[in-house]
Amino acid sequence: MYKELRFALYAIRKFLQSSAELRTSFLMNIFGMFINNTAFIVMWMAFSHAVGTIGGWTAIDIIALESYAALSLGTVFFFFGGIQKLPQYVLSGSFDRFLLSPKNPLLRMMTSHMMVSAFGDIIFGIAGLVLYAVLGGLNLTSIVMLVLGGILGVFAFLATSIGIFSVSFFIMDTNIVSRGLFELYFTPSMYHGGAFSSGLRAFFTYVIPSLLVAILPVEATRNQSWETLGFIALLGCLWFALSVYIFHLGIRKYESANFMTFGT
Amino acid sequence: MKTPIVQVTSLSKNFSYPVPKQGKGWLSNLFFPERRTVQAVESISFAIHAGERVAFIGPNGAGKSTTIKMMTGILFPSEGEVRVLDMNPATDRKKLAYHIGTVFGQRSQLLPNLPLTDSFEFFGVMYDLSSEDIRRRTKELVQTFELGDFAQQPVRKLSLGQRMRAEVAASLIHEPQIIFLDEPTIGLDVVAKKSLRDLLLRINQEKKTTIFLTSHDVGDIETLCDRTMVINHGKLIADMPTSELSKQFISEKFISLVPKEHAETFPPLPEGLTYEETQPTQIIVRVDLARWDVPSALTSLLGYFEAEDIDIYNADMESVIRHVYERT
Repeated sequence: MYKELRFALYAIRKFLQSSAELRTSFLMNIFGMFINNTAFIVMWMAFSHAVGTIGGWTAIDIIALESYAALSLGTVFFFFGGIQKLPQYVLSGSFDRFLLSPKNPLLRMMTSHMMVSAFGDIIFGIAGLVLYAVLGGLNLTSIVMLVLGGILGVFAFLATSIGIFSVSFFIMDTNIVSRGLFELYFTPSMYHGGAFSSGLRAFFTYVIPSLLVAILPVEATRNQSWETLGFIALLGCLWFALSVYIFHLGIRKYESANFMTFGT
Repeated sequence: MKTPIVQVTSLSKNFSYPVPKQGKGWLSNLFFPERRTVQAVESISFAIHAGERVAFIGPNGAGKSTTIKMMTGILFPSEGEVRVLDMNPATDRKKLAYHIGTVFGQRSQLLPNLPLTDSFEFFGVMYDLSSEDIRRRTKELVQTFELGDFAQQPVRKLSLGQRMRAEVAASLIHEPQIIFLDEPTIGLDVVAKKSLRDLLLRINQEKKTTIFLTSHDVGDIETLCDRTMVINHGKLIADMPTSELSKQFISEKFISLVPKEHAETFPPLPEGLTYEETQPTQIIVRVDLARWDVPSALTSLLGYFEAEDIDIYNADMESVIRHVYERT
């Protein structure tokens, strides 16, 4: 396990070094994503101001919501960006190189690529959560919960992403299907938290676990609910186990291909 | 008797894919497509001993890459068994990876934006080598494969020949016992091909690394491999010393004559003797060994042409291989 993690960290460092070789593109990507997220949060805050509190959600909560969502997406796609390239790897046959590696193919694949622009999401996410803590006047317990909520949101997002992109082992036309599934999963996680009640809430918690990414962490912090954090952790673990199982089942189905590719 | 390091027994691999049903609507074909199964590899068996240099050849789609992929743990066999270094590649994949090297000619394993030495370091760390070992192996490989001139260049800026040498070198960083090469000389010019073949021969002789190679290039087979296996339509149709291939599959020889005086007319030859080349200064005749023995064919030809020089030779390897493929 130690060797696996050591190599994963090394691979991330190497990819960062490789991306930094193309400095201008690297910085432009990060800056671009930061601007994009800011525009998005301004729009949602304007909406919240206009309509007032919905389902207990205020404009300040929206800052935390969007920050959690950006942090989850940013952390996973920056450090484990290979996951969103899995459909392409499977289609082109370049997944072969992860199976030829003496390391865990899932970790090796996930750390094979970094989505550079996702670093902008991470910065945005952290800055947003700090702003939320200041504007909301959070006490120490709430700050601890805020941090834990972020970690669990990232974990839940990673767990579900593995499952979603592993679908590409089973279904042809993989880019479209997995991209569609991903949108179906992630887009609701950025919606106004007050929009989810009863049936819809259950659906987007248990069937499509979008609420685990940002909405439930915000509610846990706001309501100081350890139960909610525990619930996110439990469901995240279940999704992780299921997703890893799907991934390994997918490896058995993998048929390779002979397209020309470059490696990392 | 030595135990083989690779043992393949009744190995088969099937692939299935959806095909549209004739006369059915697109909706029916979308949700309930008919599936067709292709047998890519059909019950093949062979064994390889340490230090051998084996060519695994066959026409496009014969099952070469599929077999290599099953031997390296990329694909799971549909039936049969593979043992490589007494491990099952499908279940002991990670463990096996420490002992084998792989090069796929159409696919690069190197880091495109970083210097070549960074790729060596990357693979060294991946194979859990110490920093000192990585430095030592990098130095050795740069020297052996003559990579010094471009070792600090980003990989994406290397020529194809340089890149392929680097690919092979990188695959040897952990000193594997077997190296699997899938069309390593594809797209290379003659100088780069020769250089790569010489290097492979060298590591086989110096380190006793077993070489298992697929190629469409006759030169790779002739100069590099002492044993050739031929696969076609998923079946192993020949497995013999490379030097024996022509004897087994070609029932013809060639007689080359240099006429004493410039030949101007070329009379029709008896059945079984065919002109391959008719020039005033050189005549080449193909002899069908099913109809003629060589001395009789030569006597017959000397009745038509007075010769200054005579050369008798076998079909070249390319013809042999074409013959093998066509026969099957």
